[in-house]
Formats: sequence, structure tokens, C-alpha cells
Amino acid sequence: MAEREVLVYPDPRLKEICSPAEIGSEATNNLVQDLIDSMYGSGHSVGIAAPQIGVCRRVAIVDVSHNKLGKKHNHGLVVLINPEIVESSGSKSMREGCMSVPDYTGNVERAREIVVQFTDGDGNDQVIRCKGFEAVAIQHELDHLDGLLFLDRVTNPKTDIFKRKG
Amino acid sequence: MQHFALTIIGRDRPGIVSSTAEILFQLGCNVADSSSTILGGQFAMILILSHPEISDIEQMEQAFHGLEEQGLSVFVRALKPGGEQRPDLPGELCMISVYGSDKPGIVYQVTKVLSENNINIVDLNTKLIGSAERPVYVMMCETVLPENLDDDDLKALMDELKQQLNVDISVRTVTPVEL
Repeated sequence: MAEREVLVYPDPRLKEICSPAEIGSEATNNLVQDLIDSMYGSGHSVGIAAPQIGVCRRVAIVDVSHNKLGKKHNHGLVVLINPEIVESSGSKSMREGCMSVPDYTGNVERAREIVVQFTDGDGNDQVIRCKGFEAVAIQHELDHLDGLLFLDRVTNPKTDIFKRKG
Repeated sequence: MQHFALTIIGRDRPGIVSSTAEILFQLGCNVADSSSTILGGQFAMILILSHPEISDIEQMEQAFHGLEEQGLSVFVRALKPGGEQRPDLPGELCMISVYGSDKPGIVYQVTKVLSENNINIVDLNTKLIGSAERPVYVMMCETVLPENLDDDDLKALMDELKQQLNVDISVRTVTPVEL
């Protein structure tokens, strides 16, 4: 398979709600491989979702194990087909950027810990518990499957700091 | 294309942004970068503008006379070529929180250490909070470290300052993660 070009906003495909992927089909397997090639090919990304390479299917991959923020808690390469977050708790704010929104970053608050249910690349049903950076990365990628960008979730750092005043 | 820096400040009320934006739209200006906020009772706007034809600063200033009549102070500055471009700052991005009982010199002492270590401030907010009897000073400073320093070095510098100034200081990395 091949490294694919990563779409950049305002490409309308980034704002669509993706449909479920067919488990075990050739199209899904090829898509997973393209996502892996595109993520590792970019050199610095820790996750990518199908719509970012122009495919409107509910598939994303995440691998935070090579990033210093993800060293402690990670599941290596996670292939998420038709994923769903079934539980989330706590909150964690990180400054996020996105390959599809170059030159812009913003603080985003997400759950600190999540339980995610999905089918993996071998067609097995999985339920895993993730925390910290890996949990943030998964939530960011899963948002892409619903046409949401981190821009939809940016919080103002100033209001965070002073919100308890008065 | 000529770029300008435009600064507007005046007593806060609804409509300052829309009055400004209307002039910019009618003039045919592009807003490349901007930041606006309330400081005390004042609303302050800073914008980097460009215009495909206007390069004359007086012509630009004239367009904003209407705002001055509304009680706003307007200042226009013509930028030198390249002045609209943000320099590439490759180092680690760190947020420094400084807070404690209000006393003279907090900003000066902190920024002096930063400057001496070639640490670049990219965003700075300060606010006086608490009661009149027990004022508390809060300073949030976002910095880019030079390539020879990391967040542990900055923490060490700030720890020293914390003792000297008797304030609380914390440092954390806010380098964006690309997902």
C-alpha cells in the first residue's frame, strides 16, 4: 500500500460523518495499511483518521509509544475500526495541533481516561482502557470520524485560569 | 504588499469590534493576525493588516478617524518588509505561572532572568486578583526556550527566583502535540 496525501481544511471531506467500515473486507484492510504508512511516513504524527486521507469510514490508528509523552502508558500501534468510547473520566488539557489544520494550535480539554471498544486490524473485538496522552490522541482521532476538528473544542486558556474568580 | 500594525483602545462597550471591522471591510484590508481583549475597563485590539493598494500611512490613518470620534484611540504603524512574518522559533514552549502577594518588581525580576538567558516571551498576561487588603498578583508567561535550554533548566532558574521573590512559580511544557 502507500503513503497518502493528508487532506487539509477546508477540504469538505474533513467535516463529514463517516460510515462504519466493513470488517475484514479488502477495502478496510487496505485503508488500515494506508493509514499506517501515512502516519509513520509523516515522521512526527501519533495518529491519523481515515477522513484525513479522504476515506469516509470509521477507521483510525494511534501509536504514541514513540513520543516522550506516551512512553509510560501506551498500547503500541492501535488499529481502531468502528471504535466507540464507552466510558470516560477525568479531564486533561493539552495544546493540540493537527496535520489537517497546519500552523494553528489550541488548548483542548479532553477526558483523562477512556475505555474504548473497537475491532482491531485482525478482526478481533477489543476493549482497552487508555489514559494520558494515548487517551487524548484517541479522542482527537475519533472526533475526525464525526467531522469534528480540534478547532471545535478549543478552550480559552485565560478563562480556564480565572474561571473561579468572583 | 504593505503591512500595517493597527492598535485600538478605548472604554469597553458593545460594538467596538464591529465598527472597526466595518472600516476594514470597506477599505478592503486583509486582517492577517489579531488579538483583542478587555484589560481593566478598556478594550484593546492589535491587528496586523495588509492592503493590496494602500501603502501610504496617512491614507490608512484617515480611514479610522470615525473611530477616534467615538472616543477610541487609534494608532497605525507601517511595517518594514517581512515585519508581518513570525520568526521561526524552534525551541521548547514553556508556560510559567507566577503568583503571590502583590509587591513591586515581580514582572521585572522574572523577565530579567528570562531575557538574560535568551528566553523569548511569546505571550504574557498579568492580573491583580484577590481583595484590596490582600492583593494577589498573577502572571502567566508563555516562552520559547533557546535550543541550548530545556524545561528542567528553566525550572532551576525559576526555583532560584521563587526563593528570592517569595512567590510561587511553576513551569510546564506546553509544546503542542501534533495528532
